[in-house]
Amino acid sequence: MTVKIRFFARFRELLGTDIMTDVVAGMMFSSLITTIAKKNPEGYDAIFDEKGTFREFVILMKNGKRIDIADAAKTPVEDGDEIAVFPPVAGG
Amino acid sequence: MIAIQLADVDIGDLIRAAKKHGTGAVIVFDGVVRDDDITEMELEAYEDIAKQELQNIAKDATEQFRLLHVDIIHRIGRLAVGENILVIVVAAGHREEAYAGSRYIIEAIKAGVPIWKKELTKNGGRWVPGEHGHGRPKTS
Repeated sequence: MTVKIRFFARFRELLGTDIMTDVVAGMMFSSLITTIAKKNPEGYDAIFDEKGTFREFVILMKNGKRIDIADAAKTPVEDGDEIAVFPPVAGG
Repeated sequence: MIAIQLADVDIGDLIRAAKKHGTGAVIVFDGVVRDDDITEMELEAYEDIAKQELQNIAKDATEQFRLLHVDIIHRIGRLAVGENILVIVVAAGHREEAYAGSRYIIEAIKAGVPIWKKELTKNGGRWVPGEHGHGRPKTS
């Protein structure tokens, strides 16, 4: 199974974007992002708190639909998913 | 027209095109790069999702305020001080709907459309903090 991970803004600068990665069946959203973010400690700290949970301002999306932080640990990723992780928006 | 693009737009052309039958008021919102001691501003968007959300906002505003025409053009890329960032043109039968519709659209964009701004300065850059941590409420 392959999924695409897209980080934006500061998260993109720290972790890159359009990351194609193989995942095992049943892997959860939060586990996947934890694994990817750990490749850069500063990127990990930007997204996760000291307990390893998503910082409250982080916004998560799966295939264009927002995922609540509270649901990220029980939301599986599936083949072909586009996962997005980004800080609060600031357009306009 | 709903667009996320690098290029600037001709606001005069948009106003002319907005004047449909029944129009009594056209309101233009033009958000520009402010001179906050910066050299440039860099804008980034989650383009597919942002465009879809702009279309949803335009549809909601049209229904809620009986708008006759809506344009939303949000620019991305590097912009200099004074350049247009966001142009919203709305037309309605009366000024009340036009003003309210325009205001609704800009506030909805600021609340949840995945676009980010980085202010570039002589000493580096800083991401503009968002006003809304969790963005627009989830819609099913």
